[in-house]
Amino acid sequence: MDWLYLTEVALAGLGAGALYALTGVAFVLIYKATRVVNLAIGEILMLGGYVFFGLVAGAGLSIWAAIPLTILAGAALGVLVERTLIRPMLGESPISVFMVTIGLGSILAGIVELAWGADPLRLPEFIPNTPIFLGEAYVAPKVAYGAIIAALLIAGAVVALRFSRGGVALRATARDQGAAYSMGIDVGRVFSLSWMAACATAAGAGVIVGAIGGISPTMGIFGLSVLVVVIVGGLDSVAGALVGGLLIGLVEALAGSFLGGEYKLLATFSLLILILMIRPYGIFGTHEIERL
Amino acid sequence: MAGLTLGAVDARAQAQNEEIVLGGSIPLTGVFAFAGVGIHAGIQDYLKIVNDAGGIKGRKIKYVAEDTGYKVDASVAAFNKITGQNKVSLYYGDSTGFAKTINPELERKGTMIMAGASFASELNDPKKFPLQFLPGPDYTEMFGILMRHIAKEKPGASIAFVYSDTEFGRDPIAPGEKLATELGLKVVEKIVTPPGSVDVSTEVLKLRRARPDYTIFHGYVLAPIPEFIQQAKQMGMQSRFMGTFWSMDNSMVEKMGEAADGFMGVMPYRYYYDKEGTAPMLDKIRQMRPEYQSTAYMQGFVTAMLMTEAVKRTLDASKELTGANLKASLNTIKDFDTGGIFGVPISIPGNSVPVGRIYRFDAKQKQMLPASDWIQLGK
Amino acid sequence: MRIGTIKLSYATDEALFDTRVQWVWLGLLALGLMIFPFVAGPYWVYLACLVAINVASATGLNILTGYTGLVSLGQAAFMGVGAYTVAVLETRVGTPFFINLLLAGGMTAAVGVVFGIPSLRVKGLYLAIATIAASMILHFVFAHWPLTGGTRGLSMPPAGFLGIALDQPQKLYWLIIPVTALMVLGAANLFRTRVGRAFIAVRDRDISAEVLGIPLLQTKLTSFALSSFYAGVAGGMWAYFFRVVTPESFPLINSIFYLAAIIVGGMGTILGGILGATFMTLVPEILKLVVGWITPWMPDALSLLAPIRTIVFGALIVGFLIFEPQGLAEIWQRIRRFFHLWPFRT
Repeated sequence: MDWLYLTEVALAGLGAGALYALTGVAFVLIYKATRVVNLAIGEILMLGGYVFFGLVAGAGLSIWAAIPLTILAGAALGVLVERTLIRPMLGESPISVFMVTIGLGSILAGIVELAWGADPLRLPEFIPNTPIFLGEAYVAPKVAYGAIIAALLIAGAVVALRFSRGGVALRATARDQGAAYSMGIDVGRVFSLSWMAACATAAGAGVIVGAIGGISPTMGIFGLSVLVVVIVGGLDSVAGALVGGLLIGLVEALAGSFLGGEYKLLATFSLLILILMIRPYGIFGTHEIERL
Repeated sequence: MAGLTLGAVDARAQAQNEEIVLGGSIPLTGVFAFAGVGIHAGIQDYLKIVNDAGGIKGRKIKYVAEDTGYKVDASVAAFNKITGQNKVSLYYGDSTGFAKTINPELERKGTMIMAGASFASELNDPKKFPLQFLPGPDYTEMFGILMRHIAKEKPGASIAFVYSDTEFGRDPIAPGEKLATELGLKVVEKIVTPPGSVDVSTEVLKLRRARPDYTIFHGYVLAPIPEFIQQAKQMGMQSRFMGTFWSMDNSMVEKMGEAADGFMGVMPYRYYYDKEGTAPMLDKIRQMRPEYQSTAYMQGFVTAMLMTEAVKRTLDASKELTGANLKASLNTIKDFDTGGIFGVPISIPGNSVPVGRIYRFDAKQKQMLPASDWIQLGK
Repeated sequence: MRIGTIKLSYATDEALFDTRVQWVWLGLLALGLMIFPFVAGPYWVYLACLVAINVASATGLNILTGYTGLVSLGQAAFMGVGAYTVAVLETRVGTPFFINLLLAGGMTAAVGVVFGIPSLRVKGLYLAIATIAASMILHFVFAHWPLTGGTRGLSMPPAGFLGIALDQPQKLYWLIIPVTALMVLGAANLFRTRVGRAFIAVRDRDISAEVLGIPLLQTKLTSFALSSFYAGVAGGMWAYFFRVVTPESFPLINSIFYLAAIIVGGMGTILGGILGATFMTLVPEILKLVVGWITPWMPDALSLLAPIRTIVFGALIVGFLIFEPQGLAEIWQRIRRFFHLWPFRT
């Protein structure tokens, strides 16, 4: 057993997992507040990458101006989507809403291809690329910095959810919509807020993911891995998204290096089936009891 | 009776002036759009040159194309539509899958020959694919050219293959490995990446462990090659990185950024900016299109040229334009001058043109520059 | 003008087609389908075959999703199972096509049942996601099992019938259309039986259905099996139609396509599956035609086609879900009602 190699692989996996966790948190935010499984999260992430690219390469903005603008654009998109597509579907079956987000994903992918073409693009380099060594083990600098940024953002999201007014309102809404409403919480605004925060997070994650691997209209496939992450962790648990993200990142890395790249998706989806059979509501999810 | 003869004469006269149709399932959109757009322009330009010069024996060549989005069923649909509405003699297909799917239909129709964007080794078999050809070396032959160069530069070198988990990616791996042993090279690692994967850090770690002298990428257009090279260089790896035809376009390599420096690969055609020697066709292209044209453009251009040549030779022998006749004429092409698109005169004894040259990217000039002589396999 | 029909027995009440007018229309449709390949060009016959294959598969998904309420995003992968079964049988065993198609259906039904087992524990969204996992796993098997030819896939000879090679859409039409018609009729009749009604009961409220004495697991798995059988036969026809099967032939997006087809057409109605699959197959063709018309004015229109197609695909799903959740079948009913009630109600 080559321990150094194993450590390196594990570190790379955890680095990738941090990005899964970040996107997973965005996913959970929406689910907690609105009970919508948003399959378009991958496409929103992709759009974030492209908007960033457009602002830097197209409009010639500096990178440090482009990042906040990208996140702002993500937030705006979130509100727009929530108001125009999700609100009218209130009270429809979860599957219908789920399909709406699939449709939305398709629309976003088409728009990106229309605006920027189908060719893969590379984001301008802005992450320092001096190699990082943890002891003997090498960590790709982009992955390491990406993971650090992701960790900071997740910490920010957790703190905001715990202490800010909006966060408390969101948790109250998630617990019991009716009660929250009668306590004077504007539930409609909480819906918008959750979509805004989630899409902003996803757009930010898109910039990091794009910086690591480049951007292309098929980048939305990242969303599928995130779907696995949140199912494994539990759809309504931020902690679950964290653990699930790191776990899936690790599993993919180990499967990829010890079995071969073609086993990556197989490993994650087999894990998914396994979890669904044992704990259908995920590791940290709430088990809902159905009554007649 | 008189009327009948008259009709027959009419039909023959018409056949002589009738347009010759080149149909195409072209991936103008989708993941392979970069290539499709170039191919589309290349075919159009060459046919324009031919038609402006009066066509072939007075017969113009008409180009009818449809977008496929690089999907096999859409390609088949386009084929059915185009051949249903035109009398097609030449066809350009967009993928290996399509070339294989349509082959039985092609043979059944027997009216046309086909080439395409696929250089799959499987298609390089005149028995199984009698009406198709590849306007260059097949993928295994590309590997052969690369490895011949490696064997010359550093005998006994160790190499790694990095390829995508697709039909395109897997095509030359097994025969490539065999070839490597024949040339005395060691294949120390084979790394598969799932299609569409972006984060390759674990794969790079694997590559570092193998410490190959050369790394050959296959089955990609761009991503994830640059990321691979960049991370490998950061780790202090000394490996040289190589690619095959579809990852060799200059504008694509330029997009790799820093990683591009020293990137090598095999290319059967000359680049747009190549001014060495006399190349009347390249001059003409530069005159028609003042801005850089991709290698996909060259591929489309030269495919149209070879097809047209086959038609010309068939008509010169006053034979009918059937698939078998066209292919037979194509196979008579020997030491043929492509006006400088291929760097050397070419012959098409079978289904492919096993010629190529190694190019290396020069970061200062931002261009792929020749790094070897023209290598002809089987000579 | 028709206000109502008198039904004098339960048999007439349960009948699929309740008026003579409907029989006449149906006869005309059958006649039209028979004349079609002789009057239409090869391209249109090709399209008709493609539409029919998609109708068969969408109808199968409708049994599972529209009638039993189990959402599946694995329909395309199940079609792949059918297609590979046919390809393997055709190249290795050489059995006649009708046996191959039946075996393809049976094989796929078996696979469908295996992947349907999670449906006992999970439902709704979780099930949809489990079926995504199923299609990923099936895709891996297609791409790496030597029997399925790996990433290269399998090429196969055309179907033979009494020594005639069915190698063209014009000939395959006579195989595909009758099989599809039979499958659609079968599905329509299914919901006049106990099994079919049990499906509907499970869809409407599974716990209540269980209380009423409907065995949940058995019913759900039967639904999975039936739906997969349809997918398998449709996949088998697909294999005969394209004569090459590769792992890349059945991506996840195709599963989304079938789900979109029944949403657009109308879930839980047989007519919905037919209309939806037809509509969704033809929309890209219509877009292509439009692009063809405007190309003289907009030379690069062709390159805009694919993104616009993607956008239209998404917009159709979203638009129908928000504005016409009952789908095209509902619009059809409205038009029918208009003519029935004309001129009394305008």
